[in-house]
Amino acid sequence: MRVPIEWLWDFVQFDLSISDLAERLTMAGLEVEEILETPHGTVLSLYITPNRGDCLSIFGIAREVYALLGESCQPTPLFWRLSEWILNPPPVEPGETAQYARVEVLDPDLCPRYGARVIRGVVIAPSPASVQNRLLAAGMRPISNIVDATNYVMLELGQPLHAFDLDTLSQQTIRVRRARAGECITTLDERTHRLQPDMLMICDAERPVAVAGIMGGAETEVTEKTQNILMESAHFHPRSIRRTSRTLDLSTESSYRFERFVDPNLVVVAQLRVCELIEEWTGVAPVLGMLDVYPQPLPMRMLGVRLRRAEQMLGFPIAPQEAQRVLERLQLQPKLAEEGFEVRVPLFRPDLAREIDLIEELGRILGYERIPESPPTGTTTQGKDSPEGAFAERLRTILLGAGLQEVVSHTLEPENPFQTAGSGVSEQMYQPVALYNPMSEELSFLRFSLLSSLIRTADYNRRRGIRDLHLFEIGRVFALGEQSYYEWLHLGLLMTGQTHEPHWSEKPKPVDFYHLKGVVEYLMRALGMAPRFVPMNGHDPRFHPGRCAYVHDKDDQRLGVLGELHPSLAQTYEFRQRVYLAEFSLNALLHRAVHTVVYRALPIFPPVLRDIAVIVPQAVPVGQLLDTLKEVGGDWLESIQLFDRYVGEHIPEGWHSLAFSLVFRSRERTLTDEEVNERVDQMFHALETRHGALARR
Amino acid sequence: MESIQSILEQAREAIAQSSSTSELQSVASRYLGKKGALGQLLRQIGSLPPEQRPQFGQQVNEALSQLARQIAERYEQLAQQELKAQIRAELLDITLPGVPVRPARLHPLTITARQVKQALIGLGFEFVEGPELERFEYNFGALNYPEDHPAMDAQNSFHVGNGWLLRTQTTAIQGRIFEEVQRGERSLPLRIAIIGRCFRYENVDATHSHTFHQVDAFMVDEGVSMAHLKGTLTQFARLMFGPEVRVRFRPDFFPFVEPGVDFAISWKGGWLELGGAGLIHPNILEHYGIDSERYSGFAFGLGIERIPMLQYGVDDLRLFLENDLRFLTQFPVL
Repeated sequence: MRVPIEWLWDFVQFDLSISDLAERLTMAGLEVEEILETPHGTVLSLYITPNRGDCLSIFGIAREVYALLGESCQPTPLFWRLSEWILNPPPVEPGETAQYARVEVLDPDLCPRYGARVIRGVVIAPSPASVQNRLLAAGMRPISNIVDATNYVMLELGQPLHAFDLDTLSQQTIRVRRARAGECITTLDERTHRLQPDMLMICDAERPVAVAGIMGGAETEVTEKTQNILMESAHFHPRSIRRTSRTLDLSTESSYRFERFVDPNLVVVAQLRVCELIEEWTGVAPVLGMLDVYPQPLPMRMLGVRLRRAEQMLGFPIAPQEAQRVLERLQLQPKLAEEGFEVRVPLFRPDLAREIDLIEELGRILGYERIPESPPTGTTTQGKDSPEGAFAERLRTILLGAGLQEVVSHTLEPENPFQTAGSGVSEQMYQPVALYNPMSEELSFLRFSLLSSLIRTADYNRRRGIRDLHLFEIGRVFALGEQSYYEWLHLGLLMTGQTHEPHWSEKPKPVDFYHLKGVVEYLMRALGMAPRFVPMNGHDPRFHPGRCAYVHDKDDQRLGVLGELHPSLAQTYEFRQRVYLAEFSLNALLHRAVHTVVYRALPIFPPVLRDIAVIVPQAVPVGQLLDTLKEVGGDWLESIQLFDRYVGEHIPEGWHSLAFSLVFRSRERTLTDEEVNERVDQMFHALETRHGALARR
Repeated sequence: MESIQSILEQAREAIAQSSSTSELQSVASRYLGKKGALGQLLRQIGSLPPEQRPQFGQQVNEALSQLARQIAERYEQLAQQELKAQIRAELLDITLPGVPVRPARLHPLTITARQVKQALIGLGFEFVEGPELERFEYNFGALNYPEDHPAMDAQNSFHVGNGWLLRTQTTAIQGRIFEEVQRGERSLPLRIAIIGRCFRYENVDATHSHTFHQVDAFMVDEGVSMAHLKGTLTQFARLMFGPEVRVRFRPDFFPFVEPGVDFAISWKGGWLELGGAGLIHPNILEHYGIDSERYSGFAFGLGIERIPMLQYGVDDLRLFLENDLRFLTQFPVL
């Protein structure tokens, strides 16, 4: 909203500097975004919140200035005359106007009030220079005396007006009705719109001649040849205007105001004002009388405000006299009531619907700087993090310890090959969630998996020469099931490139599957879980089929997946290095993790150490050998490490040599060499008979 | 039989000639051990007449202890020299780079979220989680937005259909919490907070994004006022931005609060708008069966990205979700 200062002076005179005025308005909720020095004078550029349609006019701003400055500003006679008209509009009669035009409102639910006047014998000419200057200052283009008069009054009072060339209206009739199927209209901007039956139209006897409250039609507009005018001033239903404006993608100064509610009393006031101005500029008076269709006048609302309540809500004391002065200056006509005041809410303030709204008005005008800073009193509450939030913090601590960098990436993403499966936590069929109104194809889906985000992050960094990435992300993923939408918190891991930076003392190695698996094992153990890595039976196109696994806990609950990026996807994304990925359901981890700790006494008896080696066909999974060793080793077997794996000379083709380091210990007594040796023999035997291994003694 | 004296002389010569502790050790075993020169002498004691034996034994033993003393002294000397030589030889170039540890850090938004959580938990707020993919009803309707009102224009949303959208504000949690109150799963008074991701249909530039994070906090109790809101916000702002920070209220409009304000903090000689706040609209409390005469509440919300932008001087919002490692590894562990 642009307010030329010189125009504001028509209504209120004040001594304040422009910047002080701007500050006062801003601190009262009318934010002055800029003070513009234009060739047409100083202009305030204001942001008006959507609840204050009454401030979308110079006069509306003047009313606020008066409410704010009170005694230190001087309202003009014009201010008082318009205020009086708006609060108590003069009665109108059809008079002679009925001889020249007819108005029928067929849909009063969308058009509660419609007013029309007729002006005959005008000569279309430019408007006075001072008027043109004000319009330019306010950001509108001068067109002609009649059109400028409608715009001038809209800017001044906030009531949009429209002037029709009366002679182009079939049967000089205005019918306000919903559009009929198949009807079209070409608007002033020369766009043709196909209309829908819920759109309100201003029609003549035959066809739509204006999109009600939004824009006039091209065929009935005022031109140089126009002699007779039908001046429209109406009140339209805000929601209907908003819907039509959105559907037709047609937004105007007029629709902007009607969407925010325009005082129905202005229908009359604006007619009086616009005809007064036209007569002043052209010497042509309107036809006597005015058509006014207003079957159900809106009542003014009575509202009470208790002073004690206001003080309680705002937190500072208010003297009754100052409260009364504020309410009076807001034109709320306060009357003393038992605990405070009763006010009559003018129709231009539909935002004042309850007591709390009046309390806000008192606080706003008196100034929020009066609010003290008090800590809340009463019962204290226990502050805490959410279970998921606290668990995510636990994961972060663990993963930082594993040397992974946290990333946080976008939810919106393009269609991508990672939308084929979730974390593998559920077997159910899910679809990715697409946006109904995406900004672009690049942002058309909600991410289905964190893996797509991590791959994009890796890609982004690779393009900038950063190839060694050890990343984790905790974030939401989305899916559409058969019945409804799902949203899950996931943990994603990505490792690629070298294990560490190049260094003179140690050559970096390329990250492989077992580096990522090591991180996963470390994570699981830190959460108190014993992970199991289970081959994928199904086919997950995201992963290298020979290098991926489900991650289960010891009770075989699925927690997530890990694997190497499928070589064909690596090619798609132009990765020349191998990329390893893992994804977990954070909730699955949260529910299976250990959340309490039980202390175990440190061992008091000495350990017995043994190293054993076998050769065994590579086709036998090492996990099975380990399971056998653990089983046969029994309670005495405290730990087992695979410390060497060798393939090459002296080992048959397709076999490998494995060396395990075993620690035996009893919690009851010192073990003897003999009994441990016997146990080790049993372990060798089991490896030989069950897995075809050969002992290397 | 060699004389003790000549053996002692040879030994002294050998000790003096020893240039290392290991050489000295072989000298010692040559003369001091059972099989050493003196030991051999002692073994021949049987060939002496019995009356000479005690004297001879005493002489050999004296010689042994004399030698042992001399060897020990020499050993100490040599050990010192060798230690010095070792230290000289083991000089490192301490300017050679150390073995690098991978720079693993938290994301800056996580660092900020932690600070915010810490501050609000300290002020008695319980953090909850809410869906990012939210029902239209919770995002707008439950928050007192009139149907089809221009108030929604500032929050153009992404829809997925069937009345579901990506939440435009974390305030969307309010209705869900009040439903819990209504069902008896929570009781008043309450202080609730939420941190999360929000989405608005907005073009991306250095200060705008379609995806951003917010923190929202609200409190309901008997007699909660604007003064309590200002007090709480001031404490929060001081925990986040320093003990001198002041808070200023300016009237603003949000359908879910009345009075509604935007709050600014004193920053570098001016005021910096940080977020929106106000008293929870009585329409909302009443909608969930809460007596708005007895109970009132406040709510406030602000953008998370704004905080590290101020704290660290980050000048481009887009950096946060791009995850350029050169950006992410700039942030110290806080």
